[in-house]
Amino acid sequence: MSPTSSAEQPAAVAGLVPVPPARNSLPGPVAAGAGGSSPKSPAVHTIELRKQYRRTVALEGISMTVGRGEVFGFLGPNGAGKTTAVKLLLGLVHPTGGEAMVLGAPAGDVETRRRIGYLPELFRFQAWLSAREVLLLHCRLLGLPKPRWAPSVDGALATVGLSERGRDKVGAFSKGMQQRLGLGVALLGEPELVVLDEPTSALDPVGRHQVREVIKGLRERGTTVFLNTHLLEEVEHVCDRVAVIDRGRTIATGTLAELVGHQSSVRLQVTGLGEHWWHRFGGFGRWTPEGDWLLVEAIQPAQVPELVSAIVGLGGQVAAVMPEHKSLEDRFLELLAAP
Amino acid sequence: MTPVLVIARLTVREAVRRKLVAVFLLITVAMVSLSGWGFYRLSHSRTITSGEVRLALPQALILFMFMFSFVVALSASAIASPAVSAEVESGVLQTIVTRPVRRSQVILGKWLGLAFLVAGYSFAVSALEMAVVDRVSGFLPPDPVAAALYLFAEGAVLLTLVLLISTRLSALATGVVGVAFFGSAWLAGVVGALGSTFHISALRTVGSVARYVLPTDGLWHGAIYYLEPSTFIAQRVADVTGSGGNPFFAVTPPSWQYLVWAALWFLAVLGAGLVSFERREL
Repeated sequence: MSPTSSAEQPAAVAGLVPVPPARNSLPGPVAAGAGGSSPKSPAVHTIELRKQYRRTVALEGISMTVGRGEVFGFLGPNGAGKTTAVKLLLGLVHPTGGEAMVLGAPAGDVETRRRIGYLPELFRFQAWLSAREVLLLHCRLLGLPKPRWAPSVDGALATVGLSERGRDKVGAFSKGMQQRLGLGVALLGEPELVVLDEPTSALDPVGRHQVREVIKGLRERGTTVFLNTHLLEEVEHVCDRVAVIDRGRTIATGTLAELVGHQSSVRLQVTGLGEHWWHRFGGFGRWTPEGDWLLVEAIQPAQVPELVSAIVGLGGQVAAVMPEHKSLEDRFLELLAAP
Repeated sequence: MTPVLVIARLTVREAVRRKLVAVFLLITVAMVSLSGWGFYRLSHSRTITSGEVRLALPQALILFMFMFSFVVALSASAIASPAVSAEVESGVLQTIVTRPVRRSQVILGKWLGLAFLVAGYSFAVSALEMAVVDRVSGFLPPDPVAAALYLFAEGAVLLTLVLLISTRLSALATGVVGVAFFGSAWLAGVVGALGSTFHISALRTVGSVARYVLPTDGLWHGAIYYLEPSTFIAQRVADVTGSGGNPFFAVTPPSWQYLVWAALWFLAVLGAGLVSFERREL
């Protein structure tokens, strides 16, 4: 078998779910400027959202749409601009360009925040308050009717596994317990959109599992979850759709299946192919000979029988066929490595 | 309860929980007790005449109240300096401003809570001190309420300035700047008084300008005025050498024009604090 590596196919790493860079090609109709909260409006919709701090560009231009009821993973390496994007959506920082609509209103709208729960990445609660008092404070800030305070607080504490520690001072909490409490605060008032910024960064495996269960519960209730994370495992477990950002730009977006499932790789043990066989071999993704083995990447699973037939047609003998499914991590690394 | 009141209540609660109020109560009781002993010895002294006692009592009370005004001002600076900056750095405020609360409501709530503490201290310490002095020496200033009000106003002015600075600088830098401003304004007041006594217009101008730039010293002189009996003022005015350059003496109360200026100054600085925090990136 020739050691030649094919260059017939473009390095199509970013081509699975193309992300249009131009603002007029964005999906999803939005009543721009609509202050209302039409249930048809996406939970989050951004158009070339940009943030620049003097000479530093934190966000080059993020465009994305998060539908109602979705668990949306916002994925990217450290320093990609994820937290900046979240802060823009919450109105903590002001954009230098583009647009962002959250629950049908401009990002940062004060009244809309009543319908948003937010767990920041770096935060602290008043150390001199107990967990219950922190939750009560947020009930007041949310403007919940007083009869709802006690059940809301009890419910939030139970959901995040802090029922036994409700009267303890937050200052005595571990970082993981503070994160649990932060999640409980974010869930108060049954928000329509819950924004979680690295919600499991301080949690042990049990805590991470619990958070995943909470997110799944939110999805069942129809709550939109915007999950900002760099933990691929978290995304694989709970997210319906994902946006990958790098260096302040969206580089891919779609469902997990779209991101990793459409194409996979197959490794075949092949002998008996004549010389220059590759001139008559094409249409099956990218291929790389590896001794007696042939690695074919970016191929649809349904194409594998056709591939075997083609090899046999070229005089080859196929001794083994080993499908290789691409993980989100493989895909993620591919996306980041793309120019 | 409106968000402003929720934040104000939280601010006061923090002061109580962190034992700030308890510490101030203890220190105040100790200082007032000490002053009570001093006033008793002064008013019952056999080495000075009753006329000298009548002159000394108001002056001694003004000195004690100056100490309390210093405590009010430093406390206002100390409790306001971390109010915004430290909570932004720690991430506490990020959990609050993402609620359906305007940032201006957060600042107004903090101001209200801190002002309540400063007012509580100003009125409590004034009432306690004057009651003790009255009890042990029989001397009561002509208008204790007005004096306490001016004491509070002095603290509130500094508190407002420090809160504005706290929206931009770190807690440490804010505290230092607040104290430095307060000290400079007081010193400029002394320089101005010396300028008036020795007819040096440049020094007098320094004092006048400083009172407008930061009205703490001007308001403190309002407190001084209402601690002085009219006979005390008349005697000190008659004794030119005795009152010249004395930073603990006021011949007249602040004019209404000056009070209007102080009110406008307060509103402008508070407004600047609201705008500054509104624009701050968190």
